[in-house]
Amino acid sequence: MARVAEDDERAFSELVRRFQGRVMNLITRVLNDRECSDDLAQEVFVRVFVHRRNYRRGSKFTTWLFTIAANLAKNEIRRRVRKRNWFSLDALQEILNDSAIQLADPTEGQETALQREQLQEAVGRAIATVPEKYRVALVLRDIEGFAYEEIGQMLRIPGGTVRSRINRARGMLKRKLQPLLRREGTP
Amino acid sequence: MNCGDARRLFGACWDDEITLAERDWLESHFASCAACRAEYETFARAIELVGSLPRAEVRPGLAERALARARRATAAPDRLPVGTPRWIPITATAALLAIAATMTLQWMGITPAGRMTPRTGVAAVPEPVLVRSPDARTTASTVPDDRLATVRGETDAPFAGGVPDSLFDHSADVEFILDPVTLRKGRAHTVLRLNPNVQGEKAVITF
Repeated sequence: MARVAEDDERAFSELVRRFQGRVMNLITRVLNDRECSDDLAQEVFVRVFVHRRNYRRGSKFTTWLFTIAANLAKNEIRRRVRKRNWFSLDALQEILNDSAIQLADPTEGQETALQREQLQEAVGRAIATVPEKYRVALVLRDIEGFAYEEIGQMLRIPGGTVRSRINRARGMLKRKLQPLLRREGTP
Repeated sequence: MNCGDARRLFGACWDDEITLAERDWLESHFASCAACRAEYETFARAIELVGSLPRAEVRPGLAERALARARRATAAPDRLPVGTPRWIPITATAALLAIAATMTLQWMGITPAGRMTPRTGVAAVPEPVLVRSPDARTTASTVPDDRLATVRGETDAPFAGGVPDSLFDHSADVEFILDPVTLRKGRAHTVLRLNPNVQGEKAVITF
């Protein structure tokens, strides 16, 4: 990052290649929209380059990078909520029930690739229904594996608040996935 | 400790942030409470599913596209420099302070030059001068000049051109002069009264 701050474009390209997967994954899991995620991931790196001189040496680069990514993802969620271009909880429940029924098909002995894909889609959609402030913390913790303290720095909230948000998000997710998991566990 | 306490420890247990004593207690609770054990398994499975989601694929060329856009964004910044509009709040604050000071001074009756504006009071009332109408001029000759509310300044000149439409000369600034009053048993009485010979209407203004 120090080289990027000195206008080294090759260093910037290297930095993008190194972190693009994690940034893309965070945004995709928060938004559950791959098309939009690509644009937003690009925007994250554009902002890194534009504001490269604002980066404080000595601070952790991933914290700064994921702060930008989380903020952009949150802005996008809010923009969508304003436009009401987001699927409803009822619609999700229908999808989950459908997936659960398909997964609970007793004729299937093992989890096929199709079932796995459907399960992953259902989980992705379930994450997308968790309220934004809990969802971002959940993805940062349970998908990206950041420490609570780092998440607190990224979201500018105390560590205790991070813990409580993640616990609430996990509880919500468990309730949403419960029908799916019960049927999945049924022989 | 009960099931509620056990479920509150689920998150910390998953994150491996509980003490050994808490872990022992939780395991002994799971041994005796099938519902909590099943609940924890569902909880853990849900988090595992979230964590095991496949990584999102990145379209090739993201670095190049980002760099190209970053170059354009650097060439034409989408926001104004921070220092440019600083004069706006400073000027606005100064203007507000000036307006507030002016209003305060006016409210206190002080002009900006620091002098008190003359307040109209009993002591400041100029001596009343009789305004003579053309036909009342002869009959009112005995009326003392200091009995009437009149026009300040020239008294005879306004009638040279014709009959006025009131007792007052409108060619000059009109100033209402209040007669001194005395208070008796809560009621106000004017000390001076109009001469009955004077033509005009008497208006009573009640405050």
